[in-house]
Amino acid sequence: MGAVRNYRKTLAIGAGVTMAAAIVVGVFALSPSGPATAETGSFLRDGKAGFIVTRIAYALGPDASESGACTDGMSKDVSQIFALTPEGQQRPGEDEGVYSKRLEDGGERISASADGKNYCMHPELAPPDTHFRTLDSLSVRADGIDIDGIDSRGRPGTPRHLADFAGKNGAKGVDNQFFRAVGCSRSFQSDGQSNSFEIGMYSGSWGVVLSLDDVDDLENDDDVEVGIYANADPIQLSPTREALEYATYAMDQDENFRATTRGRIRGGVLTTDPVDIRLRSDVNALTLERPLRDARIQATLSKDGVLKGYLAGYAPVEQLYDYQFAFRNAKDVSGKPAPLGRIIHSSNGAARVLGYTCQGVYQALHRLADAHPDPRTGKFTAISTQYAFEARPAFVVDVDTKSVNEKLVRND
Amino acid sequence: MTRFLALPSRTRLAEALSSRRRQVAAALLGLGALALIALSLGSGEPDPVGGPTVLRRLTETQYRATIADVFAPDIPVNARFEKPVRYEGLVAIGTGTSGMSPFAMEQYDTAAQGIAAAVLSAKRRKDFLPCLPANAKAFHEECAREFLSDVGLMLFRRPLSATEVSRYVGLARRTQEQLGNFYTGLELSLYTMLVSPEFLFRIEQAKPGADDGTGELDAYSKAARLSYFLTNSTPDRELLRAAGEGELDSRWGLSRQVDRLMASDRFEGAVEAFFADMLQFDRFDELSKDPAIYPAFNSDVIADAQEQTLRTIVNHLVTEDADYRDLFTTRETFLTRPLGVIYRTPVPTRGDWEHVVFANDANRAGIQSHVSFLALHSHPGRSSPTLRGYAVRQVFLCQHVPDPPANVDFSAVEENAHQKNSTARDRLVMHSTEPSCAGCHKVMDPLGLTMEQYDGVGTFRTRENGAFIDTSGSLDGTDFNTTAGLAQALRNHPETPRCVAERMFKAAVGRDITWGERAYLDWLDEQFADDGYRVPELMRRIALSRNFFAVSGGDDARGKPQVVTGRTSEPGDKS
Repeated sequence: MGAVRNYRKTLAIGAGVTMAAAIVVGVFALSPSGPATAETGSFLRDGKAGFIVTRIAYALGPDASESGACTDGMSKDVSQIFALTPEGQQRPGEDEGVYSKRLEDGGERISASADGKNYCMHPELAPPDTHFRTLDSLSVRADGIDIDGIDSRGRPGTPRHLADFAGKNGAKGVDNQFFRAVGCSRSFQSDGQSNSFEIGMYSGSWGVVLSLDDVDDLENDDDVEVGIYANADPIQLSPTREALEYATYAMDQDENFRATTRGRIRGGVLTTDPVDIRLRSDVNALTLERPLRDARIQATLSKDGVLKGYLAGYAPVEQLYDYQFAFRNAKDVSGKPAPLGRIIHSSNGAARVLGYTCQGVYQALHRLADAHPDPRTGKFTAISTQYAFEARPAFVVDVDTKSVNEKLVRND
Repeated sequence: MTRFLALPSRTRLAEALSSRRRQVAAALLGLGALALIALSLGSGEPDPVGGPTVLRRLTETQYRATIADVFAPDIPVNARFEKPVRYEGLVAIGTGTSGMSPFAMEQYDTAAQGIAAAVLSAKRRKDFLPCLPANAKAFHEECAREFLSDVGLMLFRRPLSATEVSRYVGLARRTQEQLGNFYTGLELSLYTMLVSPEFLFRIEQAKPGADDGTGELDAYSKAARLSYFLTNSTPDRELLRAAGEGELDSRWGLSRQVDRLMASDRFEGAVEAFFADMLQFDRFDELSKDPAIYPAFNSDVIADAQEQTLRTIVNHLVTEDADYRDLFTTRETFLTRPLGVIYRTPVPTRGDWEHVVFANDANRAGIQSHVSFLALHSHPGRSSPTLRGYAVRQVFLCQHVPDPPANVDFSAVEENAHQKNSTARDRLVMHSTEPSCAGCHKVMDPLGLTMEQYDGVGTFRTRENGAFIDTSGSLDGTDFNTTAGLAQALRNHPETPRCVAERMFKAAVGRDITWGERAYLDWLDEQFADDGYRVPELMRRIALSRNFFAVSGGDDARGKPQVVTGRTSEPGDKS
């Protein structure tokens, strides 16, 4: 119990009296050396509930092969682009292995400016990537929700590339420009690798926990408090790698990764007010931050405590480019700036393997940005981005938690 | 806590007093001696009857603790010990009834080689040898004799005879002559000791008995029985010294050693070992659960569940010196995060234990509501009112329930296991309607059905297959409909304290009781009640009682105990 530092009111526990309240207000306050009170019961206890996000992925839409929306084909990586040049053609009698190596070298050459500046690190220096494809069709239905309450589709003055999507089941005004940006990239198709970033979550690198407080009625409640936090503990899994329900997780102690907002439950659907949030992420042992502005949850809460729906908001374009594509601001596990070599290799390698160019995606994100205009230039700086998620009952506590292998990890 | 008055030295008194006063003093001394005798006899302890001496194999925990205590905790014991045999509900008795398989001997051989190599290694030998001859190519008789005599004393729990010392020294010498290394010779002799029956078994020796045939253990056998009872490990040097100087034959000397051992850190280990045995935790080695049904039940939970209950017991019985019966109602316990998933309760501390008290309405009262009990006495894919009811009867009340008939048909139960709106009570209705089943199940099922509010790993629930669980049950005339009611009934059952007292004595002497010891157990039970059902005090009374070291004459002494309970069956496949 020495590790117990504090418990937030939003903590999710206990029927009758929450663990938090019991420890802080009750037993712990009256008898500092005595044992804590342990409660059991359903996932909603004394109006509070906690959740661990067990599934999360970008909310996108149907694959290009299904929708036929990428009429000009899919985006290309640097080797594919080089292969289209006269120099990139296979020479008569050229061995496949030699040709393949030449394509890689050629791709690498066009990945940097004449003075050697890598375009993944400096995408603003690159010429337009005419081979990057975005999903400009208006007929495709996208996953997600209407974030801004406006259906811009068909609205006079709305450029085609900024038009809202129609959603599934008749939903209108779905703001999901990120889908528009990556919908014609092969790695963002359902069998692609770019939308499997939760692998890191299942290996314990990062996670998300949620809390509900002030809940009087799981079906209809006009005012509830909702917490969205980065998880400071690794997710607990079954032998078959399914997330366990009712495990205990500590919320991140960094205030930047903790957010609370108000919300309401109507017909079992939780909808929250917008709040800026920041989650953690990682790629190749590069530690990253995943911010989302004006984030809100719209999710169905089942009787057994499964929360399923969307986490939607606006991702700042420059930061989205960094946490998803270029990793320029990545840190190592000790919190220091990660080695530049690893960053460059990771970002260029990802672009090559996943089928896009850094500059192509950077240019597309800026072109399709739809929120938070720069007060000086008027240009949008953020792009609507949505995550589909599922969360299950958990106990969210506010303690400073450490791995038993902490020293090992940090080489102390 | 019993205290004995220390008498002043007779010599010093005599010097100080005049002859007239000497008469008074003599009278006083006489009175004092009478008072002492009265104190001893006034305890009301029935005359010792005793049973046979026992040859008991060290359990795995005893073996490991012994090596750690004789040498050092970091000396490796690299072996997989075979499954222990449980007899009369205790491995502690089984160790005196089972043989030794070739596999066990192989493992002892492997362990002995590793221990001897580690102790005599160039890095560690300075910690254990009384001398370190620089010339390892020569044999150093005095050094070898000193080391082997001393280590023999500690391993065999008695001094080695001159013949034995000569034999081990001779072996070391011959090895040195053939292999050219003094330390290799010592290593082989040490290895030989470690695979000797004198080490692997506690071989009790009795002193000649009185006219009625009742005798008692010799001093070193007393020391071993006392030490393994109160510390679950080998006698230390002080205890062996006391045995050698005859102190264990006097009430005062014995009391001093008992106090010392019970005050040591190792006492808690002895309490843990006894209850781990009584609760049959060795069966966790074979326990498996269907991961599809119970995804949270993993190796961490298995280890932590056992430790949770043992921590709870030690905290309740030793640290708090509380009433044993309250173990069945206490809500105070210790949890880890893996356990928190099963109990569905938050555990803020990561990677460590959290001291908690379950809330009044948390449906967790007593160790019978712990995962360690509920999961162990369930099937791999579902709970079992019968197994749980049987376990409560057998483990906590020392009651015997016969095995099921050989031709029992389990299919009717299995077929309906997961039917909609079906609870165990519905499925087990035949237990009360079929005459061949009802006889036994009526004493098991009513208990277990109340525990149906816990699933197969111990998670609380109110429904099974969508239907509300009817929790009404009874225990020997006490009805209840909550797990708290069951806890209270178990706590107040007259057999609950009697069972642990009887088991404690059996574990201490390593055998079932004899007919003649029934009166002693009745007395022990009364003393336990008078002591407020404090288990440490119970252990002290056993250790200080004359019955503890008593050895019967006649057939009993030759190893044929008269079994009075006839409880030979072990948990079988009861559904």
